[in-house]
Amino acid sequence: MNPVNVSIVGLPGALVLWLLAVVAFGVFAYRIRQLVGLLRQGRYEDRFDRPGKRLAHALKNVLLQPRIFNERAIGLPHFLIFWGFVLYATCFNWGLARGLFPFLPIPFPDEVRPVLLFLELFSVIVLIALVVALARRLFYPPPYLHLSMDANLILLFIGLLMLSTLFGSGFRIVAGQATASGWAPIGSRLAAAFASVPKETAASLATAMWWLHMTVVLAFLVYLPYSKHLHLLASPFNVFFSQSVTRPAGDLGVRGAKEDFTAGAARWQELTWKQLLGGFSCAECGRCDRSCPATTAGSPLQPQQMIHKIKEHMVHTGLAPKNGDHELKLIGDVLTEAEIWACTMCMSCMNRCAVWNEHVPLLVALRRHLVSQGLVQRTVQDMLGNLQRYGNSFGKSDRMRARWTQTAGLKIKDARKEAVEYLWFVGDYASYDPRCESITRTTAKVFAQAGLDFGLLYEAERNAGNDVRRVGEEGLFEMLRDKNQQALGKAQFKKIVTTDPHSYHTLKNEYPWNGNRPEVQHYTEVLHGLSQADKLPLKRKLAGRVTYHDPCYLGRYNGVYDAPREVLRALGLEVVEMPRNRERSFCCGAGGGRIWMEDTEKIQERPAENRIREAVALPGVPTFVVACPKDLAMFRDAVKTTGNEGKLVVKDLAELVAEAME
Amino acid sequence: MNLYVLLKMVPDTVEELNVAADGKSLDAEFLRFKLSDPDEYALEQALLLKEQHGGSVTVVALDAPEVDDVLFTALAKGADRAVKIPIAQAGLGTVAAARVLADFLGSAPFAPDTLVLPGSQAIDDLEGELAPFLAAALKLPYVGVVCGVTPANGRVTVIKEFAGGLRAEFDVTLPAVLGIQSAEKPPRYVPVAKVRAVMKSAQIETVDLPPPARPGQLEIERTYKPEAAGRAEMLEGSPDEVADKLVDVLAKISVI
Repeated sequence: MNPVNVSIVGLPGALVLWLLAVVAFGVFAYRIRQLVGLLRQGRYEDRFDRPGKRLAHALKNVLLQPRIFNERAIGLPHFLIFWGFVLYATCFNWGLARGLFPFLPIPFPDEVRPVLLFLELFSVIVLIALVVALARRLFYPPPYLHLSMDANLILLFIGLLMLSTLFGSGFRIVAGQATASGWAPIGSRLAAAFASVPKETAASLATAMWWLHMTVVLAFLVYLPYSKHLHLLASPFNVFFSQSVTRPAGDLGVRGAKEDFTAGAARWQELTWKQLLGGFSCAECGRCDRSCPATTAGSPLQPQQMIHKIKEHMVHTGLAPKNGDHELKLIGDVLTEAEIWACTMCMSCMNRCAVWNEHVPLLVALRRHLVSQGLVQRTVQDMLGNLQRYGNSFGKSDRMRARWTQTAGLKIKDARKEAVEYLWFVGDYASYDPRCESITRTTAKVFAQAGLDFGLLYEAERNAGNDVRRVGEEGLFEMLRDKNQQALGKAQFKKIVTTDPHSYHTLKNEYPWNGNRPEVQHYTEVLHGLSQADKLPLKRKLAGRVTYHDPCYLGRYNGVYDAPREVLRALGLEVVEMPRNRERSFCCGAGGGRIWMEDTEKIQERPAENRIREAVALPGVPTFVVACPKDLAMFRDAVKTTGNEGKLVVKDLAELVAEAME
Repeated sequence: MNLYVLLKMVPDTVEELNVAADGKSLDAEFLRFKLSDPDEYALEQALLLKEQHGGSVTVVALDAPEVDDVLFTALAKGADRAVKIPIAQAGLGTVAAARVLADFLGSAPFAPDTLVLPGSQAIDDLEGELAPFLAAALKLPYVGVVCGVTPANGRVTVIKEFAGGLRAEFDVTLPAVLGIQSAEKPPRYVPVAKVRAVMKSAQIETVDLPPPARPGQLEIERTYKPEAAGRAEMLEGSPDEVADKLVDVLAKISVI
């Protein structure tokens, strides 16, 4: 029986269905047009390169949702709700088409037995998933989960859809319009339970269920683009246009920019359309907040809130500005400077984001604006001045850069004068910081004893510019980059090895190299290569348990996780993992220029202290191994400030290699 | 207001300073120059005055290494004119420099709301002689070691710092010369991109002036590094031992 063939308040069912559909789709289209209009006010950015690769990326991440599973409790329920939605959306459109165009020679979807079976099975699965999702929201919400009524309303919607499907199937059987069978496992059971209902009543109820189902879906269609569930429309596009498909992680360039992006963004219209699309795509799941070192430390930055606030600001000022809305400033009223400076650019938010939002480049765009206005902290300003003048943040003469070599007891080649295999790009901290100098000498001795042919740029080396770029001083970054490229252009080498993961990332991914990029390796990768080739002259096995901290720019940014661990194992050490390891590694708090900033806000616990407490909790692990000079400085401080001296020693990986060579 | 800021280049003490073979001057090999710190504050004070009260800022410098960068940076920060006088600052001496600058500034009658803002002192002019010599040559009122300037009714109220944390307020008629010690805010940051843009679009004006007849500088007989006077004695041992030794030392010199 056709459920459309009824009379509703004196009108033919087909007409009512047409009216409902036209209104719902009309409102939906109107809203989508509005939202796309907002995106078009953003700046242009070319995200149309490599469409095939983008499509593969989108299919994988939308259909299989690997990043949803990085939180297990909600991973499977979301996955099932998603696939239930796809099935139901398909069947809804199918049913709607059949209802609107009665002449179509097709049955209703639930008249096709395999489809009915799927619908029923998914109803049950989705209902269970909904119970889990609802229970999670009501009884054990993870910290920072944005608990909105929006979410509960949507769960109720979905629940109604599932129940109307099941009861519709049941009542149709009772009414004799369908037969009980294994193709309708739930419907058949419901029919048995409601067998006493008169046939005519059951037929009306079945029709009512169909109309309830269709009305709820149409209502959902109207509601969706006004709610956070906009993410299910926007996020597939967001994933498709994601920067990481074709660019290095956290890339700070703007491909095909038509405006000068280096001056940053002061208004939402100065963000790119892709950055704005991120707001529509956010599902407010809070994965970014939960992994954010700034949020964890209690700083004012919460990445999800930032994305959300920008979206709200854009929608309010762009669509329905009230008096005074136009005076609201993106920086100052919507976001505070403290929020913008709190980020360590550790990449964990972007790495966790299930819809592949890009928080880090957005924050850098905002910082660029602040820098263009000279609105930088005094300490940062001093550093930028030092880097401009001396090429290092320590404000020391460039001639002092290689002073550590004088006491190294080694003759280290000058790559500007003679050819070497490896050019060692030492970096500021390893060169100038008194805490790191002795380790730099140790690293040099390890390289020499392993027979590595290496040399330095000596005073021609400049800061690679990683922090400078992330502070938002693009012009200074370009200046440092050009000077380094000039010096490197005159040196003779085959590969580059760096001490600092930050320099590593920047040399590897942010220098143009005129299309002639040499291989860039981190020293842990070089040591791993030597160890595998049996060229590390190890004299004794070390014993004991150590834990290893993945530096952000080596791990999350560049995916180097195994080389350092394997070197440690080759030394005879047992590597015990902290709960947050590999791509979940917790930033020390020094990146993105944070190492130059004072904490302006009261914070609860510095990221490095949080990390040290995590390491101290590991039983029988007295050594905390780092592979980054900044980590060394940060964590040695944190061991002292948390009162863990004597319990935990922070060591550079090179120091352990040297110990095994003695 | 009509604001002039005088910029002076001084040796950068971050680089190693050595005495040249003549035993009288600095070895030029590693010598680099930077803008004198108080001059940077003078520029900031001028920019703040312009922002709050309108007017224009002209920066003026004698020729010295790296001075063009400094002038362009001043333009990028908001100065309206940059003037370079192509007379080498090196070897000129403070008095002669003051005379050249006075020739430039005095070449036309001053607008009534003119302020000339040199830095109060420089590492090679610790006495802060430039500003008073300049004021004398121009026959203008002068206040030095200034850390605050507030214009009102065609005059300025000036805060001058004295030793021991004392401050005094002066009421000064315009035009005037004020030696700036510090501005109300730290010097602003100007991004590299902005300086580069200014280098492409703006010009440094060159004003030719006759070099001073007499350098007017005292003759330097000898330049030398400070000689170590004595040696520090390190007290070593456990905290208790160090404390005992310290008590002995203090007792020996009759402090306790």
